[in-house]
Amino acid sequence: MTTFERLNQLFRTVFEDDSIQLRADMTAGDVDGWDSFSHVYLVRKIEATFGFRFTEKELLKQRTVGDLIADIERKSATSG
Amino acid sequence: MTFNSVWYFLFLLGVFAVFHATKDRWRWVVLLLSSYGFYAYLKAPYLLGVLLLVTGVSYFCGLRIAAARDERHRRVWLWTGIAACVAILTVMKYLSTLLRVLGPAFGSDGLGHPVLVSIGVSYYTFQAISYLVDVHLEVVEPEEHFGYYALHMALFAKLLQGPIERAGNLICQLKRPYRFDSESVRAGLLLFAGGLFKKVVIADRAALYADRVYDSVHDFSGLALLTATYAFAVQIYFDFSGYTDMARGSARLFGITLTENFNRPYLATSIPDFWRRWHMSFSNWLSDYLFRPLQIRFRDWSRYGTVSAIGITFLVCGLWHGVAWGFLIWGLLHGLYMATSFYYRPYQKRVQRRLRLAGGRWHGLTRILLTFNLVAAAWVFFRAATLQDAWYVWTHVFDLDVGGSLVQTVSNAVFLGLEESEILLLMASIGFWLLYDRIVRTPHVNGLVRWCAYAALLLATMNLGVPSGHRFIYFRF
Repeated sequence: MTTFERLNQLFRTVFEDDSIQLRADMTAGDVDGWDSFSHVYLVRKIEATFGFRFTEKELLKQRTVGDLIADIERKSATSG
Repeated sequence: MTFNSVWYFLFLLGVFAVFHATKDRWRWVVLLLSSYGFYAYLKAPYLLGVLLLVTGVSYFCGLRIAAARDERHRRVWLWTGIAACVAILTVMKYLSTLLRVLGPAFGSDGLGHPVLVSIGVSYYTFQAISYLVDVHLEVVEPEEHFGYYALHMALFAKLLQGPIERAGNLICQLKRPYRFDSESVRAGLLLFAGGLFKKVVIADRAALYADRVYDSVHDFSGLALLTATYAFAVQIYFDFSGYTDMARGSARLFGITLTENFNRPYLATSIPDFWRRWHMSFSNWLSDYLFRPLQIRFRDWSRYGTVSAIGITFLVCGLWHGVAWGFLIWGLLHGLYMATSFYYRPYQKRVQRRLRLAGGRWHGLTRILLTFNLVAAAWVFFRAATLQDAWYVWTHVFDLDVGGSLVQTVSNAVFLGLEESEILLLMASIGFWLLYDRIVRTPHVNGLVRWCAYAALLLATMNLGVPSGHRFIYFRF
């Protein structure tokens, strides 16, 4: 399973919507229920699933799904 | 020189004429000197010094953040800049109040400390902080040209009451070559005229009712308290959104588009929705630079982390308006609303499904009315002169005054002893504004209808303004 597919699966679980199909350019406005409240829950799920911890700066800089994936892949590579 | 004075309009036209006649490379100088002159006209000379200090500190720290070799140094410069901005804001805005409150504890009567005029300081210090954080996050490049940086801090259209602009949005517009665009000028003048109407015809007239009751709340009860609270809700919205329209209209003359601050906030269907529509440049600032960093930092505390972040954010939101119990409680009430909304969210869809509420027209209307009344209830603490007054309003708003006939009771509560024509004018002017807004927002409206609406707006503004008008409410923040 690629990072993209694993993240897509996480989104479907967190937002309880099996129809979610992520794209790199997607932002919070494109996913029903993805707001600042649910974002923290999503972040914790990602950190638990991939086994690393984002820095505050990384989280504050992320704007799109693409940013999120880039950070996950970079951190997975360094922590692995 | 407030926006609703003739002097400001003459100043605006004068600056526009000079700006228009100046070459592109010097236009920033025209706007910068005009902005400093505008600020100096407030007759508190130290204010200009404070503006220059905040500008200089944030400019320097921004460059240092970008030039720093490693993250540790970048953070040192970030926090140095933020600490300096917060210290300046504290001295200007809170020191005299703190001395007055804490003075007796240290054997001083707290009197004799000068009350510093701090108009505009809380807006541009917040703007400076957002610039520093954005440079640190590499969202914007640090601005090397001191003139453009200083102008983005000082631009007179948004200097006194915002909107709180982001460097990433404003500086690129200031650098863009100016081309005269009659459509942009027309749109700017119309925005300005609409804002003036909102202020002098609606907000100042609603203030007659709010002031009548809130200046001596103990003389009133029941429906009169409710009428005055709703009147204040009308006043503060039209006052502040009117100001914002005038600010945005002024900037449009120079080809600059400032951030929108309001999006029909009283049509919000929940408190989170209200904060997405009310004073948006401020609420977005709080969200991006306070709430989200706190929420991320507290993420291991699960739900308690988010609730703590909400509490701190709305505490700051209240205190930003001033050190007073009323503002503090107003902020904390909104924090409580938001926290409740956050806890209710997971159950919301289930509850709505079970009660078969979702999707219906009445459900939407009920949510709007409920949200508006929650907001109005919080405004009581914002407006009342003392906590005792606010508590009196809260505890007596449902009192039934049955001294006379029902008609007489309702009439007394609605007119509050003021001229009947005033309430009729207020209702008519709100109705006219809703119609006017619909006409100007609708594309392809008949030209004659549109021009009739513009003419009616101008005539109403010139003839129906309240002579003893107020200063803008947010002027003091």
